[in-house]
Amino acid sequence: MVGTSARPESAPGGPGVSVHGITKRFPGVLAIDHIDFEVRLGEVHALLGENGAGKSTLSNIIAGLYRPDEGVMQVFGREVGFQSPREALDSGIGMVHQHFKLVPALTVAENVVLGHENAGRFFHLRKRDIFSRVAALSREHNLAVDPAARVWQLSVGEQQRVELLKALYRDVRILILDEPTAVLTPREAETLFETIRGMADSGRAIIFISHKLDEVVAVADRITVLRDGRNIATVRARDTDTLSLARMMVGRDIPPASKPLASVVPDDSAVIIELAGIDADGDRGSPALHGISLTVREGEIVGIAGVAGNGQRELAEVIAGLRTPTSGMVSIRGHDLVARTPQEAIAQGVAYVPDDRLGTGLAPNVTVAENLVLKSYSQSPFSSGPFLRHRNVDSHGRDLVERFDIRGSRHDAPVRLLSGGNIQKVLLAREISSKPTALIAGSPTRGLDFGAIQSVRSLLIDIATSGVAILLISEDLDEIFALSDRIGVLHGGRLMGMATTGATTVEEIGLWMAGVSG
Amino acid sequence: MNDNLIVVLLASAIVYGTPLLYAALGETLTERSGVLNLGLEGMMLMGAVSGFWLVQIFDGPAWLVLTVAVVVAALAGTATALIHAVLVVSLRANQIVSGIAITIFAGVIGLSSYLGTLGRVGGVPTKHHFRPLNLFGLKDTPILGPIFFNHHALVYLSWVFVILCNWYLYRTSLGLRLRSVGDSPETADAAGINVTRYRYVHTLIGGALAGIGGSVFSLAIALNWLDGMTAGAGWIAIALVIFGFWRPSLVMVGAYLFGGLSGLGFTLQTRQVRLPPELFAALPYLVAIVVLTVVSSSWARRRAAAPAALGEPYVRES
Amino acid sequence: MRFERRLDTPRWLFVAVPVGSSIGALLVGAVVLLATGHNPMSTYFRLFERGFFSQSALSSTLRSATPLLFTGLAAAVAFRMRLWNIGAEGQLYMGAVGASGIGLALRGSSASVIIPAMIVAGIALGALWALVPGVLRAFFNTNEIITSLMLNYVARLVLTYLILDSMSPWRDQSPGATFPLGARLPPEASWPQFTTGLNFLAVALLASVIAFRVGAWARRPASDHSSRRPVVIVFTVGAVLVIVWGARALGPTIVVPFGMVLGLISAVLIWVLYWEMRFGFQVRVISDSVAAARYGGMSPKRKIVAVMLLSGGLAGLGGASQVGDFAHLLDPYGLPQSSYGYTGIVVAALACNNPFGAVLAAFLLGGLTNAGFSLRGLDFPLGLIGVLQGLILFFAIGGEVLVRYRLRLSQWRVHGDRGPLGDDPPDQGRSTGTEVTTGRQQ
Repeated sequence: MVGTSARPESAPGGPGVSVHGITKRFPGVLAIDHIDFEVRLGEVHALLGENGAGKSTLSNIIAGLYRPDEGVMQVFGREVGFQSPREALDSGIGMVHQHFKLVPALTVAENVVLGHENAGRFFHLRKRDIFSRVAALSREHNLAVDPAARVWQLSVGEQQRVELLKALYRDVRILILDEPTAVLTPREAETLFETIRGMADSGRAIIFISHKLDEVVAVADRITVLRDGRNIATVRARDTDTLSLARMMVGRDIPPASKPLASVVPDDSAVIIELAGIDADGDRGSPALHGISLTVREGEIVGIAGVAGNGQRELAEVIAGLRTPTSGMVSIRGHDLVARTPQEAIAQGVAYVPDDRLGTGLAPNVTVAENLVLKSYSQSPFSSGPFLRHRNVDSHGRDLVERFDIRGSRHDAPVRLLSGGNIQKVLLAREISSKPTALIAGSPTRGLDFGAIQSVRSLLIDIATSGVAILLISEDLDEIFALSDRIGVLHGGRLMGMATTGATTVEEIGLWMAGVSG
Repeated sequence: MNDNLIVVLLASAIVYGTPLLYAALGETLTERSGVLNLGLEGMMLMGAVSGFWLVQIFDGPAWLVLTVAVVVAALAGTATALIHAVLVVSLRANQIVSGIAITIFAGVIGLSSYLGTLGRVGGVPTKHHFRPLNLFGLKDTPILGPIFFNHHALVYLSWVFVILCNWYLYRTSLGLRLRSVGDSPETADAAGINVTRYRYVHTLIGGALAGIGGSVFSLAIALNWLDGMTAGAGWIAIALVIFGFWRPSLVMVGAYLFGGLSGLGFTLQTRQVRLPPELFAALPYLVAIVVLTVVSSSWARRRAAAPAALGEPYVRES
Repeated sequence: MRFERRLDTPRWLFVAVPVGSSIGALLVGAVVLLATGHNPMSTYFRLFERGFFSQSALSSTLRSATPLLFTGLAAAVAFRMRLWNIGAEGQLYMGAVGASGIGLALRGSSASVIIPAMIVAGIALGALWALVPGVLRAFFNTNEIITSLMLNYVARLVLTYLILDSMSPWRDQSPGATFPLGARLPPEASWPQFTTGLNFLAVALLASVIAFRVGAWARRPASDHSSRRPVVIVFTVGAVLVIVWGARALGPTIVVPFGMVLGLISAVLIWVLYWEMRFGFQVRVISDSVAAARYGGMSPKRKIVAVMLLSGGLAGLGGASQVGDFAHLLDPYGLPQSSYGYTGIVVAALACNNPFGAVLAAFLLGGLTNAGFSLRGLDFPLGLIGVLQGLILFFAIGGEVLVRYRLRLSQWRVHGDRGPLGDDPPDQGRSTGTEVTTGRQQ
């Protein structure tokens, strides 16, 4: 363990971190507005709010990544002003980010000790010593992971455990977890909650950032709700419920968009997407999909649940023509896709909103207008012969920006300048305006704020009603249940089951997600 | 028996492979920190001319002159590498163009040629040069003798460097941090490791080793100075790093392989084998292309250990 | 002092940076000269004099600028797609081999047969030499930097072999030929030259700048100028032609090689290809994100091969021009020494990979190279050329950081607020993009 001697002793229940009047501005936006916030040792304190409410900013300040413009911070009763995350770490504050900071090529043990290797003479690395220390730590806190495994070989849940080990190794007393369950199955989330409880019981303080209401109620002792950069309220978990929390979080009552169960898709509507016995390999050459067979009918929304990494992306890519299956057939409206190219899928009316928005779906430094014709640039009116008709690309871009209310930049500016929600609007604008027959949507509302989430969901429902077959791939179970007519689960590349939404429960889906079939 | 073709070939492989080995070792360390240095050729030439120049103007016992010459060569390489480091690490310039700029700046019609003309050392034979040392007196051992025990000091020094690099990379905490910097600079940064400093230091070390490699040409192999005498060795060294999967021991094997190919032409000619000399001269370059293709194909790439952040400037995101 | 990422780049920087780099380079070069005991002022004066300040100097400079224009265009078309073709040197040699071979083989035919044949052969062989690295990169993901570079050395060996070590058709085997030299091409294989007034040159340069500006303006959003656009273009072209025609007979005469004319035409064609055609759009998307390109139905593999062929063809045409315009034989001594291929990279970087910029940069660097070679001697070592070129390049790529980032002279603030490079606040899902490249898209 590192640096225990450097920190003042503090008793459980005693002060952990407290901030007063913290304000933080970025150009053009007031991220945090005079917030008071405090966390005690021995408690799990949830920081709740929608995207953009200021949760991450506040935590980054506590963790030393940002410096506040105003306000004071106290740790264990002493006033501090961190100049770097390293200083925060030395004071016992650590953070596990949503995007893990791990070195893929190194082993678990090496990642855990990186920066605090306790090297011997001449910087000699005591490998066996490190290995056993990490193994002991993982046993002690019930975080099962092989210290000798290389990080790139681990699943996302296991990688998260490595991050937790890192924090424990550095003897972090105040741990901040940023949306930790976003990448976990319900079962893994349960295990995480137990671990968190254990850590709190041993005298640590845990700050749990989330936008998921029921989780927060389940795991936290106290909950602080942020909205628009302000601390709305701090309540005890047992004194509140999800409905009041939602109201506090959003500030108003918004009926969540969901597909009216009454509009059941008739059995005789045309089958639009059909997969039969699809096998496919992943990027590393190992099989990613096994024997996938499913259908999506006209006007139907089929939701595919499952934690990322179980074949979702590969499934979407197979249908969109970006990945050639090793066996099986994909057909759209009865036409078999034989050429297995993106052009063929596009020609058959397949639209694909990938979950990797700026990487796959859009070219970040290309303008909005040009991105909007990324698939259709070679057809008239955008081209005549080999020549590109800039004027038509331009007016088309302007038109779509207006129609879909895309804000934040001009249509002839690079698309990367837009915020997350607007980037998603660009993607949807392009895909929807191409009048598709089938739409595959990968994590369409991830990272968006509440208002944007609802409008995207309404949009999906609308186009489904107009007859488009939608395959919705999402890790957000609430979304899957709200929008889908039928739900399937991908686990380890296999379809674990397909059920009508009304006939199944979160528990059953959770079991499928964990690989338990039946 | 020690005159046997194979033995001679293997011995010459080590002779001609040594400059490649130095440069490739240096480049391995540089690339492990995430910096791509395409200016090796220029740095080698700077080392070659600087070391040579010093030998011509410095008076003293041979061992002293040569040692100082090697140090000067290393410094020349380091100074050249400093330009590259400032451009790509601090100014976030494109690493590929910067490397080529250095090759032009310091290369065959660049600074190295200029220095050669200034010092009037072109075409002049060297006053001192590295002679083969009879290591442990084993020079005449059958087969192994001429291959391993009859080389000059710089060859043996290179072996020391290989061992040192291996130990450094895999058995020290500094080496661990280096590997993290090249593979995931964000993680290293978050762990409190100074990415900028690691990149600077290892780029400079790469330059130093390249400089020493260059001096091998002028002070141990050709024994004179000519514009552009490295003839692409710096570029082959870059390819060697890829063949060697960024591992010093494999890089050494590759360097000797290519050293052997270079020596092949000379050796066969002395055996009266009649083929155009250009064919042999072209062999190293053609083989490099073939091996590079094989190594880059997908099955190999899955196992390859390229530092993931190689070639990307590091920008600290919030 | 910190760097902060720019949201968008003011246009004047695109001109200021190359100009600034050249000046900076000259300043540092002056220091180098001083340090080695040369007088910088007189050296530079001689350089410029030999490069630009006389009638014969200008003609010589055009001679040097011609191959540089081809190799500069070759580098630019590839670099725009982040395809690092450093093989222009070898591709140029092979173009020369092809052109000289055809020229010798067609001895007896008329110029109207030989010259087009030489052009085609030059392009074809240059393209072929670039095909190998292109295919290897497209289908095996092999690093094109190394493969194209290795082939430079092989191409040089081919030159050596053909003239020095064999009795090939390229070699001069006439009686009395003791020293290994290339065989002279028939007189019909000499490319024409155009003698024109000095002002033509100034006007041609002016015209390319105007064309560039008008082109950029014409590409702006339609509403700004919709129906006026064709009128303005016609007017500009007409004005340029009139001026050129009028200036034709004015001023002292200079000699414009046919190759230069071909080069200028190539520059215009490249501009059209990359700015007005689908090809250019695809290149832009592929260079930005290969995944997005595939997603949009483009074929990065085919584009890689196509761009390499184009790049090699341009360099090969440069080689053909060397044979047809200047040497009239295959020259294994002069070609490697001139390193037109590598200098082409400097041209492209200075020109921000823009074809019209390449015209200007080729002219500038042609003057520098020409002056350097003609001044060569103990007084002006050959190495100085590479030093100055290298310095220009350093300043160009170092200065380019100003295009991407803004320099802020503020107090040292804690890292992390916005990071030393001024990053965006969180919770907004923006990607700031991390690569700084010289492929400044314009």
